[in-house]
Amino acid sequence: MAHDGVVLEVDSVSKSFGALAALSRVSFAVRQGQIFSVIGPNGAGKSTLFNVISGLHVPTVGRVRFRGREIAGFSPEAINRLGIAKTFQITNIFPEISVFENVRVAAQSRARESGRLASLWRLPDVEAGAAGLLRAFGLDAKRHELAENLSHGEQRYLEICLALATEPTLVLLDEPTAGMTPGETKEATALIRKIAAARGLTVLLIEHDMSVVMGISDRVAVLHFGEKIAEGAPEQVRNDPQVIEAYLGPPEA
Amino acid sequence: MSRAVYARVFSRWAVIVWLLLMLLPALPFMSKFYLLLAFDALLFGTIAMSLDLLMGYTGLVSFGHAAFFGLGAYASAALLERGIVSLWACLLLAVLVVGLYALVVSFFATARRGIYFALLTLIFAEVVYTFFRYTQTFGGSDGIQGVAAPRLVGDVAIDSPLRNYYLVLVYLGLAYLACRVLVTSHFGRVLVAIRENEDRARFLGYNVQRYKMAVCMISALLTGLGGALYPGRSAFATPDLMLWTVSGEFIIMVMIGGLGTLAGPVVGGAFFVLLQEKVSSYVDWYFIVIGLVLIFIVLFMPRGLLGIRDLLGGRRWRTTA
Repeated sequence: MAHDGVVLEVDSVSKSFGALAALSRVSFAVRQGQIFSVIGPNGAGKSTLFNVISGLHVPTVGRVRFRGREIAGFSPEAINRLGIAKTFQITNIFPEISVFENVRVAAQSRARESGRLASLWRLPDVEAGAAGLLRAFGLDAKRHELAENLSHGEQRYLEICLALATEPTLVLLDEPTAGMTPGETKEATALIRKIAAARGLTVLLIEHDMSVVMGISDRVAVLHFGEKIAEGAPEQVRNDPQVIEAYLGPPEA
Repeated sequence: MSRAVYARVFSRWAVIVWLLLMLLPALPFMSKFYLLLAFDALLFGTIAMSLDLLMGYTGLVSFGHAAFFGLGAYASAALLERGIVSLWACLLLAVLVVGLYALVVSFFATARRGIYFALLTLIFAEVVYTFFRYTQTFGGSDGIQGVAAPRLVGDVAIDSPLRNYYLVLVYLGLAYLACRVLVTSHFGRVLVAIRENEDRARFLGYNVQRYKMAVCMISALLTGLGGALYPGRSAFATPDLMLWTVSGEFIIMVMIGGLGTLAGPVVGGAFFVLLQEKVSSYVDWYFIVIGLVLIFIVLFMPRGLLGIRDLLGGRRWRTTA
């Protein structure tokens, strides 16, 4: 199949937990270089969708293709090695080692030695790449701090650094601005956009805050109770009556 | 060893301490008794260090290390008993036996997380203990007694406390070097990442179970090699070496010394052996004293004996990042 620049294709994916249908027949395609956002109220199935793509869950039905290759059912580590990196909604870093060592251990995952016998005695030189990432996110001055001592906003950035250090082609960002102030959110959104463009990344973003999504996305899909109810350019989606209803409840009579 | 590895691993303190230990037998009061005590101190110190790879670096607590130790001892004693007295043969058989057993244990133990790892290592070790204790295959509860001294080369037998002491000192030096290389390598960084946040390590592309299995095997082999040196010192191998309380003592040694420091558990092991010897010569209930010391250390010196450096204003010792 010709996939003209399609990086990730989610093809009628359903996922049920017992009787609960968390996702039903969700399909969309993310193209090279796009920032594609999936939005929806809490409980819409966004995190389940990410867990399916990143290898934590196997879809009950449906396929996930990454650059034309079927990946549903692969383990998280295998999917990461193919070039998909995920950040977590709840900060998920290595708390008791330094900021720099956090990024180093992520970056060395792509070193030649990784997974080979030589990794038992060699220490790959990934300093430059790790330092570059920390600079890009303004964490350079904190490189020797323990990660757990960073502020919330800085930990959110470190979270993204870890994912990017594994040199992905597709990044899954799960509410990257969760818990940030409006000012921080604006700054973070601009930064993500800039770094994604500079590194030629394709981004799949999950958000429940619509304002974040509108400023940053090329394309938006809306989930509601596990179903995709709309997809299109940000303005198009914002004005969709079904979307408004999902977010604000049915119009008063 | 390449220059990069050398720069990463070299520690002036380690070299100085090791050289001082070389001179230890020259001290006037070092009788045969004290040489054997020093042997035990260094042997159990090295075993505690091997366990630290799991406990301090990877965050896995093994309650079954006595089985690795005991199997190494039995492998060695069984050969010595049959007149195969080459030290190298003893070490080789210990590596094979312990390696095979550790492969099975680590495969199953690392498949589950948290408390299951500790429980599975304990259960496997109890099975091994029961086999050696209650079947007559290897002498039952008496074990293998009165074996000959192993020989290094030709006629050179490790038959005196002094020679045994130097042998265990070489074992300590090589094992410390190996552990240092390991924890400062790519592999060591991943171990620490697993300790800190196993799930995240998976999402960075690391096959966590493979790393856990590898470090289990390495720790087990170092422990088993230590066990293989034991019959040369004691002339026996008994099932008591594999009692679960022995595994518990290894854990205590690591905790006394300081998790994730390598050198700390060596000190912890030595301290434990010396304390046990000193206190037990005065009172039968020596374990109560040891327990009190342990409680004191855990409460007031959470970084263990080597944590004294922090109190003296040294740099943070736990450089396991």
